[in-house]
Amino acid sequence: MRGAALLALMAGALSVGCAYEWRHQIQWDSRDQIWRAEGSQVKVRAAQSRVFDGSDRLRMLEAVVHTFQDLGFQVEVLDEELGIVSGKKFVGVEKVSLGFDPYYYLYDEEDLVVFTKAFRSWGPFWHRSNLVRLTVTVRARNASQQIVRASAQFYLTPIEDPEPYQDFFRTLDQALFAARALGE
Amino acid sequence: MRAAAGLVALSLLAGCAAREKPQDFFQLTEESPRHKAAQTRYFETSGETELLSASAAVLQDLGFQITESVREVGFLRASKERGAREYGQEIARFFTALLSTVGFFGGANTLVVLPVDLHQQINAALVARPLDEAGSRHEVRILFYRLVWRSGGQSGDQSIPPGEQRMEMIRDPKIYQQFFARLSKAVFLEAHKI
Amino acid sequence: MSPRSGARRLAIMALALAVVACATPEPAPDLLAPTDEQMKLRNLQTRSFDVSDRNQAMRAVIAALQDLGFIIERANESLGLVTAARFAEPRYFDVVGVTVTVRPESEGRMLIRANAIYNNEPVTDPQVYQNFFATLERSLFIGRN
Repeated sequence: MRGAALLALMAGALSVGCAYEWRHQIQWDSRDQIWRAEGSQVKVRAAQSRVFDGSDRLRMLEAVVHTFQDLGFQVEVLDEELGIVSGKKFVGVEKVSLGFDPYYYLYDEEDLVVFTKAFRSWGPFWHRSNLVRLTVTVRARNASQQIVRASAQFYLTPIEDPEPYQDFFRTLDQALFAARALGE
Repeated sequence: MRAAAGLVALSLLAGCAAREKPQDFFQLTEESPRHKAAQTRYFETSGETELLSASAAVLQDLGFQITESVREVGFLRASKERGAREYGQEIARFFTALLSTVGFFGGANTLVVLPVDLHQQINAALVARPLDEAGSRHEVRILFYRLVWRSGGQSGDQSIPPGEQRMEMIRDPKIYQQFFARLSKAVFLEAHKI
Repeated sequence: MSPRSGARRLAIMALALAVVACATPEPAPDLLAPTDEQMKLRNLQTRSFDVSDRNQAMRAVIAALQDLGFIIERANESLGLVTAARFAEPRYFDVVGVTVTVRPESEGRMLIRANAIYNNEPVTDPQVYQNFFATLERSLFIGRN
């Protein structure tokens, strides 16, 4: 009888937040994540990168920014000389079952993330939206070609499927075509 | 039980006593040169833009997302969010919960569930600057630090809410070596230690 | 006193408390006015240096802050602004934040102002600012070789 109660207590203790916690990757040392460069490197890298003819970096960056806007990303970093475009967006896939969560309104997202104790749109809470980050770099491959590399992150893992990147480049192609059609 | 309480009290007091005063923050410490040596390398090149661009590419390789770029002062910031659960913490939590239900920590009704780390945001702040007037030599200094968020827990009948945040500077020189090895390969230049 | 009137009293009190608790705190009329204390601080926080190039001065500020173990948060070249912060390790309860601005003062001279904040309060100790400017000076001279 006491053993059963004990087991029940244990099960209760372990199941506290367990289902939510299991979505996080577990490892022996969490600092390994710093240098862990993701999974099947070669396959993903091929999907993430595309070579384009032409050396007009500014035009390419314009098209990339256009693509960001099409995909609903906020552009946060835009550097013409370094060829970096980076942004993020929040995908509200997780909603509170009750419909109203008072905790949601307690956090101030205007503070710098480093020094807020709680960041409304990202953190170990149910109601926050999922964070999607995208960084695109445009570099000269040689005198007549450029290489565009996109890397994305969804929630806590890098995106390693080729399909999202193929979608991205399809949208980028459309943006480039539209820009050309306008006769710029 | 009393011993445990005593230990806790001691550790709290120790924390209070070790408060760093603001003056100390603006003075170089004995560790400052060691940290600088680990975090810095210089390159025989005049192309600062190329160095920054390559650094951004290396960070992208490592899964980082660039969050800030100020080319005029050679400043780059990047971050990545990942899971931070550790086996060690989960095992400790399991056994603590087990022992507490058995009544090891005094009283059969105390249930102690230790909070564990859940997410982390790893950040990198990089600065590239010229080392001489002619600009023929450039130095790159990078700092890795991370923020970790904890889960909720339980201590007896008081529940610990989730979301406790802590911050950690990365001091392991191997991680910096790996970054500079990759950067060196990306720019086809040797990374010299300062 | 019958139990019913006692309960009613309690209810009225609770309601009164609730109304008082709902009232938002009123901002003081001089909330955004500079105080004398802040004016005195300004002299402590400001120093001018013999540097003609603002970019060079900013890079020296960033290098000095990095040497001191600060994390550079923001840098804005066109406005001459650098923001950085630091925690006290290993405990991360105490935070020191600093905002540094670099402005041209006159020909060949830059005016550098550093605002340090310790745990949400402005730092008033002059020694702190002296220490910072000493490190900055060293960084400026090294950069100029």
